[in-house]
Amino acid sequence: MTDHLSRLENESVFIIREAYSRVENLAALWSMGKDSTVLLHLIRKAFVGHVPIPIVHIDTSYKIPEMISWRDDFVKRHGLRLIIGSNKQALADGMGPHQGRLTCCGSLKTEALLSTVREHKIKALFVGIRHDEEASRGKERIVSPRMSDAWSYKDQPAELWDYYNFHLPAEVDYRIHPLLHWTEIDIWKYIQREDLELIPLYYARDGVRYRSLGCAPCTGTIASTASSVEEIIKELETSRTGERAGRAQDQEHTYAMQRLRSGGYM
Amino acid sequence: MSKTLENDLLKVVVVGHVDHGKSTLIGRLLVDTGKVPEDRVSSVERLCREKGISFEPAFLLDGFEEERDQGITIDTTRVNFEYDGKRFCIIDAPGHAEFLRNMTTAASHADVGVLVIDCQQGPRAQTLQHIRSLAMVGITDVIVVINKMDKVDYSQVEFDASATAVRQTLKEEALNCVAVVPISAQAGTNIFDSSDRMPWYSGKHLLKVLCELEQRDYTSKHDEQPFRMVLQDIYRFDEEQRYFAGRVVSGQINVGDDVVFSPSAKAARIKEIRQFPGLTLASAVKGDSIALTLTHDIFLERGEIVSRPHELPEIETEFCARIVWIGKEPFAPGAEYTIKIGTAESKCSISIVTAELKPEEAVLQNGMFADVLIKSEHPLAFDTSRFGVVNFVLCSKLETSAAGLVVEKVEALVQNMSPAKRAIFKETGFVERQEFENLHGHKGGVVWLTGLSGAGKSTLAKLIERRLFSEGCRVVVLDGDNLRHGLCADLGFSAADRSENVRRIAQMSRLLLNTGTIVIVACVSPYKKDREAAREIIGKESFFEVFVFCPLEVCQSRDPKGLYAKSKSGEMGGLSGIGAPYQPPSSPALRINSNEINPEASRDAVIDLLLSQRVIAAQLASKQRSTHGQVDLEPVLDIR
Repeated sequence: MTDHLSRLENESVFIIREAYSRVENLAALWSMGKDSTVLLHLIRKAFVGHVPIPIVHIDTSYKIPEMISWRDDFVKRHGLRLIIGSNKQALADGMGPHQGRLTCCGSLKTEALLSTVREHKIKALFVGIRHDEEASRGKERIVSPRMSDAWSYKDQPAELWDYYNFHLPAEVDYRIHPLLHWTEIDIWKYIQREDLELIPLYYARDGVRYRSLGCAPCTGTIASTASSVEEIIKELETSRTGERAGRAQDQEHTYAMQRLRSGGYM
Repeated sequence: MSKTLENDLLKVVVVGHVDHGKSTLIGRLLVDTGKVPEDRVSSVERLCREKGISFEPAFLLDGFEEERDQGITIDTTRVNFEYDGKRFCIIDAPGHAEFLRNMTTAASHADVGVLVIDCQQGPRAQTLQHIRSLAMVGITDVIVVINKMDKVDYSQVEFDASATAVRQTLKEEALNCVAVVPISAQAGTNIFDSSDRMPWYSGKHLLKVLCELEQRDYTSKHDEQPFRMVLQDIYRFDEEQRYFAGRVVSGQINVGDDVVFSPSAKAARIKEIRQFPGLTLASAVKGDSIALTLTHDIFLERGEIVSRPHELPEIETEFCARIVWIGKEPFAPGAEYTIKIGTAESKCSISIVTAELKPEEAVLQNGMFADVLIKSEHPLAFDTSRFGVVNFVLCSKLETSAAGLVVEKVEALVQNMSPAKRAIFKETGFVERQEFENLHGHKGGVVWLTGLSGAGKSTLAKLIERRLFSEGCRVVVLDGDNLRHGLCADLGFSAADRSENVRRIAQMSRLLLNTGTIVIVACVSPYKKDREAAREIIGKESFFEVFVFCPLEVCQSRDPKGLYAKSKSGEMGGLSGIGAPYQPPSSPALRINSNEINPEASRDAVIDLLLSQRVIAAQLASKQRSTHGQVDLEPVLDIR
């Protein structure tokens, strides 16, 4: 193990195995995006080809339609156990981005996620977030304890060397971030190295592509001609725009993500 | 290795006292290398405009609202950047004392440290705390930057004052000072290029120092280190195959190698090294996450260390360690903690051997360092060298309370020490030691009792003396406190005076030894080097170091001489273990826990030691077994 990608891969596998060994009722959050798809691949690597835990998708019903059909096909081909979570009550009451983007995210993503975790008694959830995505994720721990669904970001536990905190009192549950130290370009180089199958929305069609995937009303495309992994890597190496510039909820105000995430957003 | 593979990142943690300019320095590195996305820079620009302040590069890292409002770093973060084709990961670490656990978290993931010091202030309280934390988490190389040089008009005199002080501190903590670089993070001076503002500085600018570090070999030579894998889990997803999953933390292993699992001591041979599905390896090295299959099935559980049979780790239920307390709750003497070392966990008890406590509080709490003795419920495997499994954490039920580094196992006595060979008196005419010994019917020897005040040295010395005297032995006690009334009346308690005190006692012991006398020394003798000097003077074959150990809080409650009370009231300073250091012996001939066994049993342990060392004869010892029942003597002969 001498190169950067191998080190990241080995570290992530170690984290995934630690969690699996220490916690019952583990699940992985999957958005069909590039990061959580890499996460799924790493889980399979950690368990010599198996995916011994369920996969959770939070469906807001506002997702880009292509994502849902791709999801169902992928799950079938890989024999995954899929849990779909959604806030049905809020949807029935007409929740949507027109009620305010952050309110909508809080209801259809955060609330849906928390109730799914409760319903399925999920003790710890793998989430494919990364430090370099935005500032509040930059401050995360690999293993992030959650008391009453909240992230106590001002008072996080020590995380020394490779020792993770799974010994906390029974009412605590955990978010686990095996990809925390990866960067956007690491993810793409790994997708290239491992030749991973990815949802085609990332590749340019008609001069545009998605750099980050979310709900259709709140996610914009970027102008791009990068239609292959190689071209995307080349594009990113010269880009000086942030990855989530196309994500409307981030731009609502400076601390939008900090507020959302302290309440339990992914 | 193929050339297309990218070199690994060099992980650099930036530490220093609060407001010495850490975040400004990192922000400067990021802005000037152009590695921050424009929208992130522009959002910080917008925020600074709103706040009516000039662009604050620290905000690029301090992303929390609370951090920006208060101008502090609460938690650690990391960012990558490239310079001159080299790749770095910069880890930001908070400077406030109350965030020490975040700082220690940050440092534990780094390869090298950058210590930022404000040239107007020099090293401060957290500077020292951070230096100790770096040493504690295993960092060996530190680059010092003396910041805010623009504020002192780039004065060499100001620079030299800070540089000299910090070099000395690094040396004391056994850290390698790679370079001391004068900079101004705010002005960007001497960071990316050499500055003509400081013609007196002939060294390299900061980035050059960093780049040259990266070229050094931080990935150690695997085949020169013992192989260690920590066992995380055993998988049986397939019907037939059992996988032993874990991570190589040191050295290298190959298919076909024989291995031993510790502490269970089970042996096996490696059949396959699976990295991932479809990928079998011929060998694995440090850092690899692997799954082993074995040539025959054995039952194992998580927590074992896998090694080669001829380079086993230590297996003990007791060891000495250095810890830094990072828990919100202070140390609770007698409470049960959980130790995690490698992938093993065990309940354990912690006894403080020495700590620099504040006399008015005298409790180990957040930010304090201590030397401790750890006793675990189950045997633990670990290493005592710099590589392998040396780090651990201590957890209470609520939190991670401390980070630790194994210092050494409680060392076994080396058997069959060579007989006295030194002819000390060359001149003829004196009575030889041998002649005295023949007369007395026993040999001479020096039992050197060291330990904190109140640990029970004098009590023990008196009992040993009485015992040996009743058997007709020539015996004398040299009690440190008594000698300070006469022979050493001119000495105080400075480090130099303590050394002189020990030297005089050692010299006197030697004179007595040469009359075939058994000398019992009872003296705090807090410094290792002084005791080593005593060993030299007396001769190692006649010097028996006995560590009389007792947890500090018990010594304080005993306080037979009222010294702790005096220290607390401020009447007396520099008491070993509180205001002054006590360095426990690394390999005593005997260690006695006076909190756990009674004085008579302690005495018998020393008598047993003299017997095993053939200072006294067997018939003497055969009479000495008294009625103290079963005692927990430290097994001094523990050769595996």
